[in-house]
Amino acid sequence: MVETWRLVDLEYRDDPFRNMSVEEAIPRAVGEGNAPNTVRFWHNSNTIVLGCFQSADLEVNFDACKASGTEIVRRFTGGGAVYHDAGNLNYAISLKKGHPLVPGNDLQLVFQKLSEGTVEGLKSLGVNAEFQPINDIQVDGKKVSGAAGSIRWGTIFHHGCILVASDLAILGRVLNVPRLKLADRHVASVQKRVTTIRDELQKDITTRDVRDAIVRGVEKVYNVRLVEGQLSKSEEAKAKELYDTKYSSTKWNLEQ
Amino acid sequence: MLRVRLTEKDGRIETVKISGDFFLIPEDSLAKLEKMLEDTRLDEKELKLLVDRFFRGTNAQGLGVSSDDFVKAILSTKRA
Repeated sequence: MVETWRLVDLEYRDDPFRNMSVEEAIPRAVGEGNAPNTVRFWHNSNTIVLGCFQSADLEVNFDACKASGTEIVRRFTGGGAVYHDAGNLNYAISLKKGHPLVPGNDLQLVFQKLSEGTVEGLKSLGVNAEFQPINDIQVDGKKVSGAAGSIRWGTIFHHGCILVASDLAILGRVLNVPRLKLADRHVASVQKRVTTIRDELQKDITTRDVRDAIVRGVEKVYNVRLVEGQLSKSEEAKAKELYDTKYSSTKWNLEQ
Repeated sequence: MLRVRLTEKDGRIETVKISGDFFLIPEDSLAKLEKMLEDTRLDEKELKLLVDRFFRGTNAQGLGVSSDDFVKAILSTKRA
């Protein structure tokens, strides 16, 4: 029998703090056995997302963020800072720990296995995507997606952002770069090493198109069926609690 | 990239804060490592022993960061 996973399209585009609260509430519920294995898709507009071990003071150009209205939120997984806008598609996979897809306790294996559905989806669109350890998906040597993840709360968790039609130029302004790499040169170097799905395909493609392709990729690669669903009442309550106590606080987001 | 901010007294670590774009699970083990480092001499051998003991004792798993990376980053504050 084909395994069924829940598909959740829940997002708060203009509230990255609420988005991140939902991002944490889902794997917690999956690990507790209160929610099925879940794939979520979502967007943020104009936000820096910091890795949980990063120092905001060191990574963020606060003046540029203020000028451009860029919000700053910290996630609960490690890795580096990323810039999100509406051209950036986020996906998250939460599987109950012990799932045969990712046996054991190996984070590198989590990144590799749980990138496969995304890679398959991108390939089906005609993008020459491949997983590149530690946590990237690349197209001909250029990064098009980065992932982060964890194994905690009894859950295998993997999330990533895919540059579909993002504004790469703003990256070098809102994130701090070493003094030697002045803004323009940094942007130039970022643009060389990073690409978008739109640029690769040379056509207008929406994040919805990419989302649909990844849904099909996940179903094919993992032999599962994704069924649209919603958060349970307890997940909603957990997300609200996480928002109130963690993700809406300056202490969590900036003072680590 | 690892970044370390520390205060030292008489060649020993008083407080230390480690940040960076690495992965470490369980995530809350970093605070344990920072705590363990307090009062440790800023000496490569001693730091290496302690960081190795941290990884063994907590079953922490680093990705994009090794025991040696932590030691090097801590020692780099000494030379700065």
